[in-house]
Amino acid sequence: MDLIKPGTHIDFVGKMRKALILSAVLILISIGSLIYHKGPNWGVEFTGGSEIQIKLTKDVGPDQIKSTLDKAGYPPNEVQRIGLQSDNEYLIRFSADLVKFEQIQSFQKTLEGIMGSDPEFKDGSILRVDYIGPKVGAELIEKAIIAILLGCVGILIYVMLRFEFAFALGAVVALLHDIIITIGAVSIMDKEFTLTIIAALLTVIGYSVNDTIIIFDRIRENMKKGGRATFEEIVNDSVNQTLSRTILTSSTVFIVLLCLFFLGGTVIHDFAFALMVGVLVGTFSSVFVASAIVIYWRKKRGLTV
Amino acid sequence: MRASRGWIITIIVFSVLSALLLIPTIAGDSLPGWWGKIFPDRGIRLGLDLRGGIFLLIGVDTEKAVDHELNGIKDFMTQELKGEKILIKGSEIKGDDLTLQFFTKEDLDKGAKIAEENFSDRADINESGLSLAFVLNGSYLDEIQVRAIDQVKQVIENRVQELGLVEPSIQKAGADRILIQVPGASEKDRQRIIDIIKRSAVLEFKIVRDTGVDQDVLLAKYGVKSPDELNAQGTMLVPGDTGVENEKFFIATADSPVTGGSLTDARLIFDEFGRPAVGFNFNGEGASKFGELTEQNTGQRLAIVLDGTIKSAPTIQERIAGQGRITGTFTPEEAKDLALVLRSGALPVPVTVEQERTVGPSLGRDSIESGMMSMAVGGVLVIIFMVFFYRLQGVVSDLALALNMLFILGFLSAFGITLTLPGIAGLVLTMGMAVDGNIIILERIKEELRAGKSPVAAIDAGYARSLWTVLDANITTLITALILFWFGTGPIKGFAATVSIGIISTVFSNVVVARVITNLIYQDRKAPALSI
Repeated sequence: MDLIKPGTHIDFVGKMRKALILSAVLILISIGSLIYHKGPNWGVEFTGGSEIQIKLTKDVGPDQIKSTLDKAGYPPNEVQRIGLQSDNEYLIRFSADLVKFEQIQSFQKTLEGIMGSDPEFKDGSILRVDYIGPKVGAELIEKAIIAILLGCVGILIYVMLRFEFAFALGAVVALLHDIIITIGAVSIMDKEFTLTIIAALLTVIGYSVNDTIIIFDRIRENMKKGGRATFEEIVNDSVNQTLSRTILTSSTVFIVLLCLFFLGGTVIHDFAFALMVGVLVGTFSSVFVASAIVIYWRKKRGLTV
Repeated sequence: MRASRGWIITIIVFSVLSALLLIPTIAGDSLPGWWGKIFPDRGIRLGLDLRGGIFLLIGVDTEKAVDHELNGIKDFMTQELKGEKILIKGSEIKGDDLTLQFFTKEDLDKGAKIAEENFSDRADINESGLSLAFVLNGSYLDEIQVRAIDQVKQVIENRVQELGLVEPSIQKAGADRILIQVPGASEKDRQRIIDIIKRSAVLEFKIVRDTGVDQDVLLAKYGVKSPDELNAQGTMLVPGDTGVENEKFFIATADSPVTGGSLTDARLIFDEFGRPAVGFNFNGEGASKFGELTEQNTGQRLAIVLDGTIKSAPTIQERIAGQGRITGTFTPEEAKDLALVLRSGALPVPVTVEQERTVGPSLGRDSIESGMMSMAVGGVLVIIFMVFFYRLQGVVSDLALALNMLFILGFLSAFGITLTLPGIAGLVLTMGMAVDGNIIILERIKEELRAGKSPVAAIDAGYARSLWTVLDANITTLITALILFWFGTGPIKGFAATVSIGIISTVFSNVVVARVITNLIYQDRKAPALSI
């Protein structure tokens, strides 16, 4: 069975200019959102502080939880609903400069007391307690960034060895493009930037490169065949030839992610969200951004085929 | 086109091996005893985020160890110089340096000689004016810090072991941290575990000089304004927690001839009023020192100081040697835990909790259940999808995927990798890449068929031409995964590990397993058409 009719010929290269404008807009929106939200909404793993995840039986709402805790003498920095509304799960956060480890211990006792007595909170439970000292968090951010950058360098070198510099540049630009827009989407939805999101970003990197390389591989193969086609034509043919694979793979992955998103529970929910954005953007960037960079760079260098 | 016998055997061996490695994971506790003697009996362990438990990152104050070292040098020098009838004018400890001041040049020279004889291997000794400076060597500083963290780890290990918890894990994390993981610990255990780990448990025995309710009044009585000034009188101010109303502060001797280091045993006992207390025994040296201390101070009050607070201050009736007890305001539970920490030894330097994560068992269970559920649904959809698009070749792909999953889980089992949520993310990524590899190859075969090749030739060409595509795509991801494994910490490392193992297995299943199965189906047949 064929998804794409054989011999389909869509003019992708001709649409690259429009596609790049769309990319630029998406990146600007992402950066705008990051500026508006004053950077990513870092989870306590990174900022230091405390985070307590609770599950209630009634739909109490973040505001009421906040006011109840205010009255109990532990005003939280933020109370946030997580997962789906029907989960009734909330995150209570305290920043590191306000709360010491010992205070979190006593806060927990108070919270257990409230859950035992207050009818609204009855039968609630504490699912998770996280305390992170400020020193650890800063180290984590640093290491994650170094790891991602080194990953980019590694890919750059490998692609350069296997292909040529223009392709390496295209792959890395497409990769950064996907990471920025995924981070932007997480920021726009005002989701917490946790380790889970970092794991999702790493996965996006994997997919993004994978996707790009497959088109590049075809371009290289077609280049070897020779003939009178211009480089643009070769790129266009290659994208068309791999189109059914691109769509089939992206949709299988997307199906799995939809399952994770709706059935995976609160912890996996955000992971799946970031990955869905990443896969969509990654597919788009493999077809348009990566190839456009290669075409542009080769033209600038005066390379024909 | 025949399936190579060698590859068939390899695949079968891998499958059987993976299945064997996976049996402990599936069987869990119901595994018969003899299994562990023949085959590995450790399955895939689930991380704390999946099964619930406590994760504690403890920061060790290694600077304090340097302080202790410098204080030790100072005490040694003071003692030695006393023997030479020399008095030190003053001393100062600043960072990694110790400075001793002398009254005369002759004193300084004698001091320098003693210092050279005893400490030249670990410190640079410099004279300037009338002072002598000890600057610890870089390598010796490292040694002190390593020793401190090793000792702390040992003490914590002893304590956690005595608590009788299941599968606790205690590891060094970096130069000055210790990571403690206790899976499956309940909310109730949590407080107790943290208290026991954090407790310094420094036990000292001093002689009480005076006591009172108000710190300032007490200090004024000795003509000083701040507790530090008591030093000159050979005494110090110690807060009290003895349960006696008007004894909030004590003045006690500064030196403590006997410490908790000389204990051989400590246990929960009940005193003559039936109150919980901790009974302890001394080792030989401790017993003789304690005997001496109590003999010389009969009639006075003994200060039993725990972590800088006087817990009880009984009057010494007669010489006591081998044993003693700490009474106070304990619950039986508290006394038991105190005995435990005393038995396992004092922490040589203070520790702080830098990170704590407690995942309730219900969250862990929910994560696993919904995680597994969603992956199962996703997996079934992918299987149907593949069969729908690629017919018989889709079935072949599904079979290769299933074997791939088996290999990956088998490997994870074999390496004893702990599966965490990011690890599951890694599995999702690899399965995605595996499906992708199949799609790349199958699409290529279709293209070759369209180009007019015979079915068998199309399969050959399809596999041959997409080999490097699949390899390139997977190697780039493997590079990122290896870098993450190298650089990442904790959860990121877990992700990188599953992805690395996953990718190697995926390439094998795409390029070899699927090919061998396809060959088995089409070999010897003239295959008029491919079901693809």
